[in-house]
Amino acid sequence: MSESDKLPSGRTRIESLEMRGITKRFPGVLASDHVDFDVRSGEVHALLGENGAGKSTLMKILYGLYHPDEGEILINGKAVRISSPTDSINLGIGMIHQHFMLVQTLTVAENVALGLPSSRGLLTDLDRVSKRIVELADIYGLRIDPSAYIWQLSVGQQQRVEIIKALYRGAALLILDEPTAVLTPQEVDELFVIMKQMVKDGHGLVFISHKLHEVVEISHRVSVLRDGRMIGTRPTSEVTKQDLANWMVGREVGFIPDRGQAQRGEPRLQVKNVFCGSDRGTPGLRGVSLEVCSGEILGIAGVSGNGQRELAETIAGLRKVTGGQVLLEGQDVTNLPPAELTERMLSYIPEERMRDGMIKEFTVAENMVLREHHKAPYSRYGFLNLGEISRHSDELIKRFRVKTPSRDTRAKNLSGGNIQKIVLAREIFRTPRVIIAAQPTRGLDIGATEYVREQLLEQRRKGTAVLLISEDLDEILALSDRIAVLYEGQVMDIVNREDATPEKLGLLMAGVHPERQAG
Amino acid sequence: MISDLFSVTVLIGILASGIRLSTPYLYAAIGETFGQKSGVLNLGVEGQMLLGAFAAFYVAMTTGSLWLGLLTAMVVGALMGLAMAYVTVNLHAQQGISGIGFYLFGLGMSDLLFQKLLGTVETVQGFPKIYIPVLSDIPGFGEIFFSQNILVYGAYLLVPLAWFVLNKTTLGLKIRAVGENPDAADSLGVSVARTRYFTIILGGILSGVAGASMSIALLNVFQQNMTSGLGFIAVALVYFGAWRPIGVLGGALLFSLINSLQLWIQVLSVPIPSDLAVMMPYVVTILVLVATVSKVRAPSALSKPFERGD
Amino acid sequence: MKKFVWFVLTLALVLSACGAPAAEAPAAEAPAATEAPAVEAPAATEAPTEAPAPAEPFRVAVVMPSAINDLAFGQSMYDALVRIQEEMGAENFEFVYSEGMFVVDDAAAAIRDYATQGFDLVIAHGSQYGSSLQEIAPDFPETSFAWGTTVDTFGQPNIFAYEAASHEGGYVNGVLAAKLTKSKVIGVVGPIETGDAKLYIDGFKAGVAATDPDVKVNVNYIGSFSDVALASEAATTHISAGADVLTGSAQMVVGAIGKAEEANALWFGTQSNQASLAPKIVVASQVYHWEVILKEIIGLVQDGVLGGQSFTANLENGGQVIEFNPDYALPEDVRAVADETVKGIVDGTVTITLP
Repeated sequence: MSESDKLPSGRTRIESLEMRGITKRFPGVLASDHVDFDVRSGEVHALLGENGAGKSTLMKILYGLYHPDEGEILINGKAVRISSPTDSINLGIGMIHQHFMLVQTLTVAENVALGLPSSRGLLTDLDRVSKRIVELADIYGLRIDPSAYIWQLSVGQQQRVEIIKALYRGAALLILDEPTAVLTPQEVDELFVIMKQMVKDGHGLVFISHKLHEVVEISHRVSVLRDGRMIGTRPTSEVTKQDLANWMVGREVGFIPDRGQAQRGEPRLQVKNVFCGSDRGTPGLRGVSLEVCSGEILGIAGVSGNGQRELAETIAGLRKVTGGQVLLEGQDVTNLPPAELTERMLSYIPEERMRDGMIKEFTVAENMVLREHHKAPYSRYGFLNLGEISRHSDELIKRFRVKTPSRDTRAKNLSGGNIQKIVLAREIFRTPRVIIAAQPTRGLDIGATEYVREQLLEQRRKGTAVLLISEDLDEILALSDRIAVLYEGQVMDIVNREDATPEKLGLLMAGVHPERQAG
Repeated sequence: MISDLFSVTVLIGILASGIRLSTPYLYAAIGETFGQKSGVLNLGVEGQMLLGAFAAFYVAMTTGSLWLGLLTAMVVGALMGLAMAYVTVNLHAQQGISGIGFYLFGLGMSDLLFQKLLGTVETVQGFPKIYIPVLSDIPGFGEIFFSQNILVYGAYLLVPLAWFVLNKTTLGLKIRAVGENPDAADSLGVSVARTRYFTIILGGILSGVAGASMSIALLNVFQQNMTSGLGFIAVALVYFGAWRPIGVLGGALLFSLINSLQLWIQVLSVPIPSDLAVMMPYVVTILVLVATVSKVRAPSALSKPFERGD
Repeated sequence: MKKFVWFVLTLALVLSACGAPAAEAPAAEAPAATEAPAVEAPAATEAPTEAPAPAEPFRVAVVMPSAINDLAFGQSMYDALVRIQEEMGAENFEFVYSEGMFVVDDAAAAIRDYATQGFDLVIAHGSQYGSSLQEIAPDFPETSFAWGTTVDTFGQPNIFAYEAASHEGGYVNGVLAAKLTKSKVIGVVGPIETGDAKLYIDGFKAGVAATDPDVKVNVNYIGSFSDVALASEAATTHISAGADVLTGSAQMVVGAIGKAEEANALWFGTQSNQASLAPKIVVASQVYHWEVILKEIIGLVQDGVLGGQSFTANLENGGQVIEFNPDYALPEDVRAVADETVKGIVDGTVTITLP
């Protein structure tokens, strides 16, 4: 075996990996329907598809978390059996999960060493592991402190730990499941530098993303999955973003919505020098001031954990304001209970919709009236008016195109996009005065995203004040009239849409204020 | 009187008795620590202790071998642990409720066996005190720390051992990871099920020893429900100790020392009503817990069944 | 998770302090939860078919919080029933029991069951059963109930009340203890400062004080009827404090007796004969002979009187007996003092002043 077969980590390359005729059935669903997919050494192969298209299923089969009902996997032309993550790790396959598979309370070295045999038998050999981590970090340009605890690290750093974990285990082929979803533009750039280096060194990468421009930028080939079937694989240079979007959805999509002119009116929501506490690890708010007017969308940009969640929660009455004021239509609503804010027509689309926006065990219909169930016409004298609730929820299901077998289906059995539609339907049906939308399209596929964005713009046309919190800069730029950037619990700056560029926002998100620095 | 509390005899008495009282807590709570570290809440400790106490007593009495009795208690505890592991790991049962179920099983079963096999309260000759040469001759200290029976020494050796296993071995790393983020552990090829089976069975064994330490080392009798809620206190001590063996040791000692202190308070006729005196260990423990509100969180996956999913 | 800590601590408190302050009898610490009610009829239940014109046997059911072999309160009742059966014959007297009924609701259900089944006498052997009995008894006017230990019949015509004058036996034990102590320090291990245990201990203290005012009696209530470990440490504490004679009430004292034996200190028992646990050191036990009272009650029931009276088991009527341990060599003169004290209490020449 010649030197060139080796990767810098010392591992032999995987020249080619093929998945042939992979079929996987779940009760009632054909998640993967005779799918062919392949990756070669030295390429980034992007895998595109809407939620539920079967990307995750396919990759989980490759990583040994699921077992296919049919089909085979070949490495360098030889059939292999992968029945557990251990098997795939041993074959040189690594996976960077969308939700990091890291133990927050352990150190980097401990996370890397977990599950591996130790050179000292029963005892851990963390010092040796740390040394090797530093070596690998040098080779691939991933700076990381092996003795740091995961909870101390930024999201971008945590992702590097995930990559190191895979490399440490000798991964020749890496699956990156939506790796950019949680990163700042700068961090995305850094990740791409690392990815390019790895490809140059002979690794094969599978890149899963919703963001078409990233796919176009980084990948060599792109495959599109829809409804469990492979639509096609092309060299990236031969396709346009529009082609890819159409293939994914199966129809023509206009994916930059038409914003139209803002009809900015009177201030509806004012946040004045607000302070609040935080959960462990992230800053709370430290003197945040902003205002959202009628007919306007104010976008809140920032890297996850810089106070976005706290901002949404303080306004929604879920977190105690320790200083400052929140005004709703000129009236002080600081620290009022959520029920009172509902009365005043504030709507909240929470970030963790499964946890905060929904009761999983309740039916679609029950979730639809969660906010107003105690009022006419949904209840009288303390009794629920089931007829009215049914009629109302059927109407919303139709209007918001919620894909559900019936209104009596339990919410937990629906997909993320449909759950978001239910929350959205409930929150905007009554045409609120103010909407707080926290990460409203996170985890949604293009079709659902398009729909949610349209609805927010529709609300804006109707004169509602919308506060849009999103970590997706494209979304912020596509929807907002003005953009506020949060950094460590403070507003770095508020810029008009016309003046905003991804680069400028990216610097603000990283805590750098170009004008202030220059001046 | 109050001043008598500070005499040497009394201080030695309090410390020696505190150390004896803490022994069953230590075994049970260290065992529970392993379980909780791996994400399994076992509320059946009390039941495991009772069956362990009975098994140890009965075998020691009938065979005359204390070691065989101890071994039987460990086997019984392990079997209870095995059943608990099956119910919680394979069947994904709600851990709190199934733990209470195991408690009731141990309580009823030990009572039934006691009725059928013994019929009346009897005594055995338990593990004798072992006087550690030289050390046991140190005035005061010798009596407190180096004149105890083997199971008391064992309990105290268990603390550093448990710390070592949890923090310095690959097994300990797996246990901690499985209790914090089983998905992450699973994705790295660590078997969540096997790890939890191990810790629950280990917890069962140690609970069995805890029971044996009462029936054949410290008290040398068996009576129905003789553990009297001690197993539940042990579970609370794991929280008190913030899931660290040293913290568990601190909690067990604090609770036991206050308990032996209140015994002396009554004996010395310190004018405190007995009802208040017997509340002291609980009150003080709760106060310390409140005062030292620790930043340490429970293992994130505690009491959550693990199922490989999306 | 914090909430959970409170939950566990509270649970622990409840379990360990089980029995509740109101529990006069050694409360229920052997809840055969999985098998309760453990109903057994040790008597020959088959009807004597050949006997000529057999009278219906007298049928008694008893519900008790602890176990029939607890060497204490529960056992005293069970032994009494066995003795009555021996005396009257199995063909004339049958009894069944439910033990471990520490949950009052379960006990109430059992009491009602027995009444429904037509038992002649249903005994609620635990002071905590009172309010249940008060509700049940009026529904079964034909059935007689007995409740102890108490003097309260609730003014109902079908409830008998019974109690023990445990201070009398306690007094005798106290006199003996004062005579035998050399260190002039005596230790007492009690459960919760209430009811029968308190009565015994107060009597014991009075006996010691009347005999030798220089002897110090240290009393330790451990707050539990079941915490064997704490009872045993309490005994150790007494011994460290110089006690060479100990006594104690309720079923958790088995732990204490063991420690007394290790230290070669003397032990006085109550409620049941505890000599079997430590033959070398148990001097005497105050034993309840409920049969004395039960026989009276049975006689009344057979004559058609179903309740409304209360009874006290004491030294005079033989409901209480001081049983000496034959294995312990009690000096003749001390034994004589004991007998004299018993006689004095019976004829009224000795009066017991309780605090």
